[in-house]
Amino acid sequence: MAELTPIERVQRFFNREPVDKMPFFSGMGMVLLPAIKKLGYNFPSVHRNAERMAHSAIESARMFNLDSVVVPFDMCWESEALGNEISLYEDSEDILYPTIPYKNWTEVDQVEISQDDIDNIMDKYPMNLLPEAVAIVKKEAPDLALGVWQLGPFTQCGQTIELDKVLKAVFKDTARVEDILDKLSDMIINIGKALQAAGADFITLREPGVAADLLSPKTFRELIQPRLTRIMSAWKSPKVLHICGSTDPLVEMMWQIVTDSGGQAVSFDIKNNLLESRKKLGDDAIILGNFDVFGLPCAEETTVEQAIEGIKTNIDGKVDAVWPGCDLWPDIKEANFRAMEKTAREYHTGPTPAVGRL
Amino acid sequence: MASKEELLELLKDGVINYKEEQVKEASQQAIDDGHLALEMIMDGLAAGMEVVGDLYERHEYFVPEVLMCADALYGGLAILRPHVPKSDSDTVAQVVIGSIQGDVHDIGKNLVKMMFDVAGWEVYDLGRDVPLEKFVEEQLRTDAEVVAMSAMMTTTMLGMKKVIKMIKDKNPNVAIMLGGAPVTQDVANLFGADGYAESAGNAVQEGIKMIGRLREFEKKKER
Repeated sequence: MAELTPIERVQRFFNREPVDKMPFFSGMGMVLLPAIKKLGYNFPSVHRNAERMAHSAIESARMFNLDSVVVPFDMCWESEALGNEISLYEDSEDILYPTIPYKNWTEVDQVEISQDDIDNIMDKYPMNLLPEAVAIVKKEAPDLALGVWQLGPFTQCGQTIELDKVLKAVFKDTARVEDILDKLSDMIINIGKALQAAGADFITLREPGVAADLLSPKTFRELIQPRLTRIMSAWKSPKVLHICGSTDPLVEMMWQIVTDSGGQAVSFDIKNNLLESRKKLGDDAIILGNFDVFGLPCAEETTVEQAIEGIKTNIDGKVDAVWPGCDLWPDIKEANFRAMEKTAREYHTGPTPAVGRL
Repeated sequence: MASKEELLELLKDGVINYKEEQVKEASQQAIDDGHLALEMIMDGLAAGMEVVGDLYERHEYFVPEVLMCADALYGGLAILRPHVPKSDSDTVAQVVIGSIQGDVHDIGKNLVKMMFDVAGWEVYDLGRDVPLEKFVEEQLRTDAEVVAMSAMMTTTMLGMKKVIKMIKDKNPNVAIMLGGAPVTQDVANLFGADGYAESAGNAVQEGIKMIGRLREFEKKKER
């Protein structure tokens, strides 16, 4: 049997067709420092330069045999396009992702997202760089599955005004919050469609700001679930829903969003009880995520053997592919990460609960 | 005129049910009626916050509710604290607090700050996205006994290790508290910290436990 190419493996995986081996990939940020160094770039320079971003993403995947390439890397794109300044930390020697130090809107009632923002978001800087980066990746790495992602409306709302204000307004000014979430949902739909049109092979909707350690499951059901369903329904497949933080009380609702929207998979971070989630969702659900993106590949004290054990534990937790619990932390220890990839491919050769083997 | 017990109940209820105006009015009333401000803080506001911690722990309250309770508490604290006699409010200790560089999240940091404020500490809040050296400079300037740092993301957590080393090199007696989603007890140990709170929620629980202990301490002083 001929080995599948990475893109074939990922496409078949999302189609629930048997694959040759365990996919090892991500739909979230996965830019890795060894790759950037090899290209001669520094970390701040890869975020707002389409070519550097594309090449960093491709090299990260190639260097460590990942099945996917993912752009972009940081979470400030839309907020910047809506008029906020970002900090790239160009003078820092540490790996610091861009942030939004000050937001133009300080109160929920100041938020003004126009129809022009929604309809023409992709024409605004820096959003106009993203399709360019996607096109470069598609052209230069056609054998790799190209993943893109979007933040969900609640988390995106927290990128445009302070999260504590949004959280309180959920109770104090619900109608206003709902209106903002609806507008942001429209914007997110348009961005996702544009990235898919540019060539993305799959898309991940990430909504870390709604985990059950922040919002109640009741609020999730009433305020968040309908909007995430609407967004994912508007996108083409394959599509994945990921939530960081405490997700055990949300598992069924997350999977319902995926199935109601014609999506393919659900993804959790390290706080999720994987085996319990599998019990709740059954073998039909494609479950991803949960491996520790810092502890296994990066932590100073983690040995190669411990990193290998971590991946075995992840697979024993009945995931359908080895996929990180969040953005990969760039400063990986190469030996650990290579061993993790090898283990992912070799440890479990049979079918996973939802996906068979060739 | 409301009795002391009625005012304490109004303060407690106002914090629990995030009724900021009720808390402000009861606080002002307490001052106008000549009640002891410290007693109002400890047995009214702080007692209410203890119940909030319990509701959070039982998953009846989540972070939005806790934030609104904190707003109510601060509404009362702003009125009551200036009326605590100097002899009662001798600063317990000093703390330098902030979110580490690269991190603009400050919910957890602000909840921990609330705990120190209630407890009567002198709080030097550096805000968020604080350059690493600033923690060291501020600790040296204030001679604070505690430095509390928060990081919401793994990507910024590593800066804490550098700050701890810089501070401990200069002043090994400073207690370092870490907090934030990616920080675990193992990480805190590895970085050489003296304590940690794993999340905003955990910070609430830990902070409220500390408030509870402080209330017990105040009661013992009275006896």
